[in-house]
Amino acid sequence: MPPSLDELPKGYQFPPFAFELSPEWVREYVTAVEDEAIGVLEGSLVPPMAVATLAVRSLLEGARLPPGAIHLGQDMSMLKPVGAGERLTVSAQVASRGERQGWVLMGIELNVADDNHAPVMSGRAMLTMPANAEGGS
Amino acid sequence: MTLDVGADLAPVVKEITQEKINRYAQAGGDGNPLHTDPQFAAKTMFGGTIAHGMLILAYLSEMMTAAFGEDWLSGGRLKVRFKAPSRPGDTVTSAGRVLRIEDGRTVCAVECRSQRDEVLVAGEADCPRTGACLGPTEVTV
Repeated sequence: MPPSLDELPKGYQFPPFAFELSPEWVREYVTAVEDEAIGVLEGSLVPPMAVATLAVRSLLEGARLPPGAIHLGQDMSMLKPVGAGERLTVSAQVASRGERQGWVLMGIELNVADDNHAPVMSGRAMLTMPANAEGGS
Repeated sequence: MTLDVGADLAPVVKEITQEKINRYAQAGGDGNPLHTDPQFAAKTMFGGTIAHGMLILAYLSEMMTAAFGEDWLSGGRLKVRFKAPSRPGDTVTSAGRVLRIEDGRTVCAVECRSQRDEVLVAGEADCPRTGACLGPTEVTV
């Protein structure tokens, strides 16, 4: 079983994960978020938050998200448009970690690149979660 | 066309329902019970389920895509903080205003507010100023 996110130390490097933005999944995502703007653009471009969402989903293959985790903030740079069907790789590390009153405060930096190693997206998520949370989600 | 300082971006308005939260959880593979399990969420500081932060950011990103087109996808930057949770039953309005033009980029203040006028998300987003922005289009779902 992968470790719980709250247990990871500062500097922890997540194993890189490759994922594919399958047209089916992109359609499911666009429907879920009701994005009416992306379809106006030419080509089968993917909303940038879809890339971020699938990147985080891939990372969670390697660390369990504790129940009750809360997203506090998000910095993100979009570097290259991507289309449905593209294969991407996300790498990430725990950039900061602190504990206060039973809660872990964590910053996770992530970088997404395409098959040619061209950067697609970079970002940093600030999360808080109960320390020593049981189970996972 | 380009957006000048003081221009408002066309807002994006979305209704939050538990069904939509569940649909996003399914797509995003985020089964955190804070979002999907009313019994679990009732015991937390929030007293009930809340929407995923990334779902709310998808609405902000839709607003930026509508305003700036592919420039947002190829060079957009976003820096936001979550101020309050979005709950089922909320109407979330994403809004933005051009603050300044800086280093060839259009810098906007962006936020999401609930129907109670509570700020849910606040921060800045900026985009390369290529003159290719699509301009105002209002989206309401």
